[in-house]
Amino acid sequence: MTQLVVRISLGIAGLLLSAAASAAQPGTPAATVIAIPPITTPDTGVKGNEMLGLGWQATQLIAADLRQTSEMMPLPPNRKDYYSYPEVTAPTFSKWRAAGAKALVTGFVQSRSDGRLTFGCYVYDVEKGRELGRKGFIVGGGDDWRRAAHKCSGLAYTAITGAPSMFDTRITYVAESGSPDARVKRIAVMDSDGYNHSYLTAGDTIVLTPRMSPKGGRLAYVGFTGGKPEVRIVDLASSQQRPLLDGDSISFAPRYSPDGTRIVFSMMLGANSDIYVAPATGGIPQRLTTSPGIDTDPSFSPDGSKIVFESDRGGSQQLYVMNSDGSNQRRISFGGAWYASPDWSPDGEWIAFTQRTTAGRRIGIIKPDGTDEKILTSGPADEGPSWAASSRELIFQRGAGNGSALFRLSLDGSEPRQMSIPQGGSDPDWSGLMD
Amino acid sequence: MRKALFFLPLALLAGTASAQFRVPLLAPRQPPAPVLTGIDALRADFQAKSGTDTVYFGADNAQLGPPARAVLHAQALWLLQHPEVVVRIEGHGEVADTRDHALAMGAKRAEEVRTALVLMGVPAAQLTTMSWGKERPGAPRAVTVLVR
Repeated sequence: MTQLVVRISLGIAGLLLSAAASAAQPGTPAATVIAIPPITTPDTGVKGNEMLGLGWQATQLIAADLRQTSEMMPLPPNRKDYYSYPEVTAPTFSKWRAAGAKALVTGFVQSRSDGRLTFGCYVYDVEKGRELGRKGFIVGGGDDWRRAAHKCSGLAYTAITGAPSMFDTRITYVAESGSPDARVKRIAVMDSDGYNHSYLTAGDTIVLTPRMSPKGGRLAYVGFTGGKPEVRIVDLASSQQRPLLDGDSISFAPRYSPDGTRIVFSMMLGANSDIYVAPATGGIPQRLTTSPGIDTDPSFSPDGSKIVFESDRGGSQQLYVMNSDGSNQRRISFGGAWYASPDWSPDGEWIAFTQRTTAGRRIGIIKPDGTDEKILTSGPADEGPSWAASSRELIFQRGAGNGSALFRLSLDGSEPRQMSIPQGGSDPDWSGLMD
Repeated sequence: MRKALFFLPLALLAGTASAQFRVPLLAPRQPPAPVLTGIDALRADFQAKSGTDTVYFGADNAQLGPPARAVLHAQALWLLQHPEVVVRIEGHGEVADTRDHALAMGAKRAEEVRTALVLMGVPAAQLTTMSWGKERPGAPRAVTVLVR
């Protein structure tokens, strides 16, 4: 899965967000019912059958994507709802109105002479009989059609909710196996639906907190290769690794800036942990905090102007916000508990955190100005939230027994759902959109 | 590698022990000591003389209490007698902590031990620190590990 999806023009490609907003009916909890009849093809004969088969798989993947969200309710795709190629752009709205659908996804798959495929995707407001958006992609062979299908799901999700989608995103985490005393930890990367799972490190040394660069080409993580924890960078294409910094300081908690040019992290100087920022390519770190105590887990605001972090400078772990040059540091959490591992949402509206009390660790969110604190999980060993690109979902780790697992959590108040991964998992990080 | 000879009774019985041997000439009736050489022998001796290689902390802090200081005092005495030995002080955080705060807390505990040993006279060049965070479950602690 690489630079295989090339966007092509299908003529006017306007996302009519005003129509989308009316379809979403903000404030109503009801999910939008969406119909996804089987994707068709202009091809005929054997090729046509092959394309219809692929289209059916893509249809089911789109339905599965949208079913994972709390905002969309896809009608189960039915092969009897087959439509012809011309009907892709001229659907029979009355039929879908009668079925109770508010929105409709149509599309086609067409084979190309160069062996690749053209994938077209269209989203309609059924009630108004109006197109909400369209997108076309040229995809290569193998499983590349999956990315096109995820992008089609994303087109529908964004057209209807107005929020960025998270179907064509990746998740990195630490895969765990072995006994509690000698955990084998490997960095794993997968598509957000669990597909394309692979390991980046061999498990011969402890690795922690992988964090993806904004475009997903590199990971910053903490490795014990040099005998102590230090921030390291791995290039996903070449698998080449290197330490971020020269020297042998203990450094940890790395996160990329939104533009990918800088990495903010913590570093020990004596018994003091402070926050530093360094060019993502390495170089001299600049110190941002100087208070005695432990300052760690920095996370940039989406515009790059601010950083949220945790500090125990006041006697207990609390959340602080500062400008990205280190100025104007101020505490934002006053809920009477301990607060840790903040992550700023991609839309800038919320900061997710881990709350520590004597009853355990739970996941919550708070506004960047310190208002509207909400606890979203029941614990007792929940930790390390990371936002989806939509800013409407989180991924976190939940400890159970000797290990931990990854869970997805929607902000709508529904129960967290465990993700299917091959082994135990911790320290998840959800990427932004890949392109 | 003269330390390798610590536990070789032959060297003692033959009367070839020179002044550089720091192990006192003990009664020959001891049970046969396990055959340890090099760093293993030094580690065993360090454990025996210091009582333990581990000091413990209270939850969520890095303050050394009187029992921990007594252990470190014994460790310092041994290290002063073995200036060629380098140790790595490994700090641990607690499992109930969050990942990165536990890493920092482990590093802070290791640093407190290092500072205490330096104040007891151990040359800083003999001491390095690292943190396991919460990767090795157990009580909040710092372990002094002989490296060479």
